Formats: sequence, structure tokens, C-alpha cells
Amino acid sequence: MTATSSRPSADDPRITLDQELGIFEPVPPYPPRTEREAEFYTLGDGQMFINMGPQHPSTHGVLRLVLKLEGEQVVDLDPVVGYLHRGVEKLCENADYHHTISQVDPLEYISALFNEWAPVMAYEKLLDVEVPRRAEYIRVLSAELNRIASHALFMGWMALDLGGLTPILWSFIERDEIVEMLGALTGQRMLFNYFRIGGVNGDLNHDFMSRLGDWMTRATDQIEANLTLLNTNEIFVRRMRGLGTIDGQTALQMCWTGPNLRATGLPFDIRRAHPFSVYQELDFDIPTRIEGDCLARYLLRLDEIKQSLRIIDQCLHRMPDGPIMAKLPRLIRPRPGRAYAAVESPRGQYAAYAISDGTDQPFRLRIHDPSFIHLQSVGQLVQGQLIADTMAVMASLDPVMGGVDK
Amino acid sequence: MTFVARTWNRLTIPGRVLLGLFLLGGLLTGALIALIIFSEPILELLGANLPLVRFVGAATVVLLMTIPTAFLIIYMEMKIIALMNLRLGPDRVGPFGSLLSVVHGLKVLMKEDFTPTGADAPVFTLAPVVTYLASVMTLLVIPFAPGLFGQDMNIALLYFFAISGLGVVGLLMGGWSSFNKYSLLGGLRSAAQVISYEVPLVLSVVGLLILAGTMSLNQLVLNQAGWFTDWYIWQQPLGFLIFFIAATAEANRTPFDLTEADSEIVAGFATEYSGMRFGFFFFAEYVNVFIVSALTVTLFFGGWNAPFPFPEIALAFDPGSLGIALLILVAVVPVVGTLILAMPFYLLRSSMPFWQALVIGFVLFNIVAVAAVLGWAFVSLEWVAGLLWFMLKTYTFVFIFVWMRGTLPRVRIDQLMGFAWKWLLPASLLNLFVTAGAVVLVRELGA
Amino acid sequence: MDRVFRRRLEARLGPKLTGPVRQRHDETEIRIGAAGVTDVLRTLHDDPEFRFTFLADLAGVDTGTVMQVVYHLWSDVTPDWLRVIADGLSRDDPRVPSVTFLWQGAEWQEREAYDMFGITFEGNRDLRRIYMPPEYTSFPLRKDFYLPDDAARSPGAGIRHMEQVHVPRSAPPATSIRRIRA
Repeated sequence: MTATSSRPSADDPRITLDQELGIFEPVPPYPPRTEREAEFYTLGDGQMFINMGPQHPSTHGVLRLVLKLEGEQVVDLDPVVGYLHRGVEKLCENADYHHTISQVDPLEYISALFNEWAPVMAYEKLLDVEVPRRAEYIRVLSAELNRIASHALFMGWMALDLGGLTPILWSFIERDEIVEMLGALTGQRMLFNYFRIGGVNGDLNHDFMSRLGDWMTRATDQIEANLTLLNTNEIFVRRMRGLGTIDGQTALQMCWTGPNLRATGLPFDIRRAHPFSVYQELDFDIPTRIEGDCLARYLLRLDEIKQSLRIIDQCLHRMPDGPIMAKLPRLIRPRPGRAYAAVESPRGQYAAYAISDGTDQPFRLRIHDPSFIHLQSVGQLVQGQLIADTMAVMASLDPVMGGVDK
Repeated sequence: MTFVARTWNRLTIPGRVLLGLFLLGGLLTGALIALIIFSEPILELLGANLPLVRFVGAATVVLLMTIPTAFLIIYMEMKIIALMNLRLGPDRVGPFGSLLSVVHGLKVLMKEDFTPTGADAPVFTLAPVVTYLASVMTLLVIPFAPGLFGQDMNIALLYFFAISGLGVVGLLMGGWSSFNKYSLLGGLRSAAQVISYEVPLVLSVVGLLILAGTMSLNQLVLNQAGWFTDWYIWQQPLGFLIFFIAATAEANRTPFDLTEADSEIVAGFATEYSGMRFGFFFFAEYVNVFIVSALTVTLFFGGWNAPFPFPEIALAFDPGSLGIALLILVAVVPVVGTLILAMPFYLLRSSMPFWQALVIGFVLFNIVAVAAVLGWAFVSLEWVAGLLWFMLKTYTFVFIFVWMRGTLPRVRIDQLMGFAWKWLLPASLLNLFVTAGAVVLVRELGA
Repeated sequence: MDRVFRRRLEARLGPKLTGPVRQRHDETEIRIGAAGVTDVLRTLHDDPEFRFTFLADLAGVDTGTVMQVVYHLWSDVTPDWLRVIADGLSRDDPRVPSVTFLWQGAEWQEREAYDMFGITFEGNRDLRRIYMPPEYTSFPLRKDFYLPDDAARSPGAGIRHMEQVHVPRSAPPATSIRRIRA
């Protein structure tokens, strides 16, 4: 009793803080350890630091940005990540192969099917197993649906970060319909845990097909109608055009992929550059834009939604009959070896690199996440812009902190 | 002094309360006696300073009026934006959730009123008061209805702009004293924004003043009497546009709500505020919306005038002529009306007990009675009709503000400033010179 | 499997390779020493014959005996992924040249490898911890970093505190570390 009551409490007014209270300065309390850190945390004349996040209304999760400002102008920016780090790679080393699929599910929680797809493909390479064609078609179908859901949500978010309240809720309608649909197919609405090594968990069912058929008839119109609120809005277009511009070569150097890279004019899409699954048999275009600014990144996603609808349509027409799982033993012990598999997720190249040591657990599973790659170039893109644009640029890259922090 | 302190410390809590009540009662009794004794000189004093008395009275009434107005607009905003977002919005507290903003107000009252360490406490505390008073005091000169206004100044418009410009001082005080960089940025943003938009705001009205030849808002409204074609909007369309845009910026509303851009600087100047001090900022924002709408209506849309000469309906009978029968009527009609309205429910729905039917009948009768009284007041009392028209027009503009908030994204600070200085200012100058030229031309040709 | 590409690789980079070129499925794998990273990757990136302009992934690997840094590259000249393994880094002080001079985007991936494995990338101007807090001292993805679960799993070892310096004080005998043939 006495021991607990004598323990100092933070509420005790008698406790005086030994530190003098002042404005919180986001400068680390130790001497700089790297060249870049020393450069960043040195203030010039008339500059100040401002700390954004990890609790901030618009940092898309728990991202922290340290901004170096000159008035309202951003001189430099240092993203600090790791607030959501769960050590998924380490967890996967200690889980068996089937279990890892549910471990990687919550990484990019907006488009969870792609998270499963890359490791599953890597394991299939390790096992030399052929996936039945029906399973491949089902994978493509569900993944493209998930891509539309992710893009629709992105477009709403983009507007929210520019102060528009309505588009996010309108695009949530689209996402909700798709998520309900995938829920009918996979059993869950967000973290699907649907792909299996050698196939998928369940076949197409009537609930899913009827919802999909119902939605497909009005999808294009509905999505476009939802977005007229933004695409023709003068304020929105003026703020986005010419903002955060990057050229193709720099983007390649920054290891960009996905819609963000294609918005600079390079038609690099893993679905075509290094075809996986059945994408080679499907007919679709890779939309590109040459401006490389936020508006291009935004509008490109609308084009991608249309292409995804095309793919879904073809999948439905060509869906073959047959099994949905390859014949595999329950306990999987791949031969020792290494395999790399990449898929084109809504944010770019999502890849998994698996090493097997002959046991039932992967020796190493490396997850390559596009959000992580894109986020590191925010600092370059916003130099010389205003604070208001920091969030716009960051939102236009569409990072998901669950994926960034692994 | 020590004696008083010691006595006070020895008292139990009920004792302290009783002592307080006792002292208060004594004071009030004394004041009442003094009032009765000196009633004559007091009345004389009040009579001599009637404008001042009127001013204080009007200020009190206006201050009391702002709170329900703010509640109503907050509810409107929540509900309308929710419907635009295809959501339900508030639907739990009161009919259609209409009491939710009242609950919000109570919540704000009960929250901890927190002053951050390092804040400049007096300035920090005063800031919301300044902002709130600035918006409340502008209401004094707005003519709500014929004869229903605080003060009929001959420089009412000037007073309006002067006082509403004071609001920014409060925002700046809040931003500066909060000891927070987000607040500081928000405060400075609001200062830059409001001062910039003050210029086109005032200039856009000058054209109208040349036409009207008066700055009294009451006179301006009287000038616009008649058909809706007599409203100043038709003579000053450009002026109206500039005024409306600049007023949106003055009221810190979307798309010019940079001072509290939540996706950039959290809540701007209000970041460190909590409790009722935040509540004052919050209310001031909505009162501002009302004021700006009211002024727009007053200047450009005929104020309390009906859009067309409303036909005078002479009531067929005067209730006063009934004499004693009126009293009997007042006693009988509610009972009979309630019974008549309750009957259908009781007779047609066999499952309903009689008392329930009676309650329904009573509620229905009240609605009918209120409607009848309002209709009678509208027809026979000029100020009721005026107030109704005024509120109708004002809330139309409030709706437009809410609509804009639901639709538009936010502009950037450089676009905001560029728009004020590069477009609105030249446009308002153009409006001013064209109007002045036209007035001179008409006079020359007429002469 | 792209046999032509394999022959081209062997012809061009022959002396720098420390092992045979392996191919499996759609992947081609070459192994080089830490000293050869700069040259080999520059050749692969700049040579018009290869044009590996896209760095798909950069990962650290702890095989239990040595450290490796694995680069995955993509080019339009071959349908294969090219895997370049910088092999044989010592587990005590793994050092490898940075590739940020070719791909600036490798900066954070190298930071991650440093954070998780303690691999020092010489030439990376921002080699700080990225996921772990700055005062953290151990490297979580190394094979001698045990989770409490592992401890329960490995016979005879008690549960250790999660955070530990380089070699845990009560580390089990080296044989119980999970290893792979490098």
C-alpha cells in the first residue's frame, strides 16, 4: 500500500519538471549521426521547424513529418516513420508458410489482396507448383476489384487533404460496394486472407456474382459522376496542376513504380513489363500521362479504374472451369532456394523475396512495399512549396502507413 | 483580515453556501430598496440618456440572440452537409437531431478549460471574447424588420466594417498567445487574409453608396421597397459578387478557411483552445456567417422588404369587439379543439387509449393555434412579416455558405492573396468608377 | 530462363562473379563480392547491352554464417529478374558500398537494411535507423535476435529480454542459430 502510494504520479502537482517547458522542438536530443541529419537539423536565418504528426488530421496514419519552414514555405522535410512497425518480416520467419499469408495481410490494408499475392507467388515458385487457370482468373478478378476500391478511396482522400469534405464520402460508396462484394467472396471485408499457396480459398459464389453483375452495369457512370465534383472544379485543378512535378528519369532513380511513375510518361507496369498470372492473355492498355504532377497522378488513377473494369469484364467472359487449388500436401517444405515475385499493386510494384531452407517456415521473407519507396521522395517534391501543398503532394503519392512501416 | 479568513475556514460547506446566499439576499434587498427610493431620479436619468439605454438594451438582446442563432446554423451545417455527403447526420437528440448543437454547446461548457504552459494567459483568455464581441456588436446596426433594430446610425455601414474588422485582432491574439507554431501560423494567416479582403469588401459597397446616397442600413432597406426589381442587386451585380466573395473570406468560410485548415495547420489559431473559450471562437464563426448573410440581404436583396408589394389583407373582424365573449372563447376553444382533433384517432384506431388520443389532439391543436396566431400576426403586424422575409432571405444565404462548404476544396494561401489583390481589387475599382460615371451621366442627361 | 542472357552475363562480368550464374523460373542469379558491387551495378546500369535502369528491390539477408545484400534488377533486354547477391559479408562488421549514386531511391532501403541487419552502406549519406528508435542497439532481423517464441522453441534456452546487444549475453550455443547454405 505504502509502496504504491509513494510512487510519483504524473498528476501530482508537487512534481516539478526538471526540464524547462518551451515550444516542442522536433530536434533529436543527440548530436547528428549522419551527413543528412546534420544538414537538416541546422536552422538557417529565419527558419523554423514544425512537427507534423504522428497525430495530425491528415498524415494518412501515423507518419511524422518534420518540416523546415521559412514563413509558410517548406525548405526541407524529413519524414520519420516506424510508428506502426510490427516486424512482420521477423514474424513471418517464425510462422509456417500458410500462416505468413495472414501475417502480411494487414500491411497495405487498403488493398490487402495484393499483399497476399506477392508472397503466394514467391512460394509457388519455390514449390514449382502450377496454379490452376481458374484460380488465376479468380485472383485477377478479385485483385482488380480491390484495385478499383483502392483508387476510389485515394481520389476521395486527395480531396479531403485539399479541404473538400464530400468526395471522400462519395468514393466510400464505391469502395463499400466492392468491399461488400469481396466480403461475400472471401468472408472478410478488409483483410481478406483469400489467396492460398497453389490457388484461392473458395470458388466464386452466387452472392458475389450477383453483386458484381449488379455493380458492373453502373460502375463506370457512377465513378465518373462521383468525380465530376472534383475534376471540373477550378480550385482543385489549379491547386494540383504543376504541383510536385517530377520527370521520368528522376522518378526511375527514386525507384518509383506504379501510377506515380506512369504519370511521368513511362509506361512501366509489372503486368506488362514482367507479366505474372494471366495478364498476358488479357487485353488492356497502360494509361500514361506526361505531366508528372499531382493532377496527372490523380487523373491517371481514373484511367486505371476504367482499364481495371475492362479486365474484370474479360475475366468474367473467359473464366474457365476447373479446380481452384493445386494439389499440395498440408505441410509445405519447399526445397532450399530463393524466389522473387512482384505484382502491380494500386501503388506500384509490390514484391516478395522468399528464401527457403527446407523447413516448414520461410528462412527469410522480404516484403518490398511501394509506399515506402514513394514516401522518401516527398522531401524533394515539396521543396519550395507551401505547407498546404505538403499534404497534397503526400496524398498524391498515395502512401499507406501500414505498408511503409511493415 | 485574518479573522475573516479564519471564520470562513471554520465554516462547513453548507454553512458557506448559506452565508453566501444570505449575503446575496441582503445585497439584493438593499438594491431593491434603493431602487424604490431613488426611482424618480433613475427614471429621469434613463429618460435623459435614452439612446444609451437603448444601446445597452439592444446589445443585451443581440448577445442573447446570437446563441440560438449559432445553434441553429451549426445544426443546419451538420445536417445539410451530411445530406450532401449522403449520410444521415445528426438524428438522435431531439426531432431529426435538431437539439444536437445544443448538446454540443453543453459539452463545450463542461469541458476542461485548459491553458497551455507558456501561454500568455490574459491575452489567451481575452482573445475569444474580442472575437465574439466583434461579431455580436455588428448585429446592432442590422435592421431585422421595420422598427426592429438596435441603432439606426447614419454611418451604420462604416460602423459595421470597423467593428467586424476587430474580429481579426482576437484571432491574432489567440494565435500569438497560444505558444504554439500552428496557432501562430493560423493567426498570421487570418490577419493577412482578413486585412487583404477588407479592401475589396469595402470598395465593392462604395458603388452602392453612391447610388443610395446614404450609409444608414435602415435607409438603404427603405430605398429598396417595392418590387424585387428595385433591389440593388440588379444595379450592382458585380459589386454583389465581389462583396459576397470577400465576405466569405472575411467570415473564414470554405473555400477561404485557411485560418483553420485542418489538413495543414490542425485548427489554426484555435489549436490550443478547449472548453468554452474554444466555444466562443466556434460560435463567433457561425454568428459571422449569419451576419454576413444578413448584411448581404440588407444591402443587395431588399432587407425586410417582400419581393413584391404584399397585398394588404384587412381582417374581417376585430377580436376586441367581442368583449366578454373573447374570454369565453379563449376558455372553450382549446378544449373543444383538442377533443375534435383527438376524436379521429380515438375512433379510427381501436388500440389507442383515450389519453393518448388526447395528447395527440392537444399537440395538433397547439400546432394549429400557433399557425393561426402567426398567420394573424403576419397579416396584421408589419414587423412580423418583415422579420419573416428577412430571415427567409438570410437563411437562404446561410444555406449557400453551407453548400459551398460541402462542395469546394480549400484554396492555397498564395492563390488567396493573389485573388484578392489581382482580381477583386481591380474589379471593385472598376465597379466603383463605372457606377460613379453612370450616376454622373444620368444626372447630366436628366438635367 | 534466358540462356542467352546468362552467357552474356558470364562474358561481360566473368572475373567479378564469385559463383556460377544460377537460373530458376524467371530469375537469374549472380553472386559478387562486396568489393565488386560498385563496378558490377554500374556496368549493369549504364551498359547499353544490359540497361538495368530499374532497381526493383534491395534487401539484406542474414544466412546465419554470413551477411548478404540482395539487389533485384529489371531491364527490358531480358524477361528475367536479375538477382545480384553481394555475398560473404562478415557478420561482425558487414560493409558494402552504397548504390545511392545510381538509384537515389535505394537510400531508405539501405537504411532499412542497416536498421534490421546492421549492414553499413558506405556512401549513403543518411544511414540512420528508420523503423527502430534511435537509441535502439540491436538488429532485429539477424538470426541471433530471438523472439520470446523462439526462446521457448529452442531447447534449454530461457526467455531473454527482447532487446539485446549484438550477441546476447545468454546466447545459446552457435549451433542453434538457424542457418542456410549461403
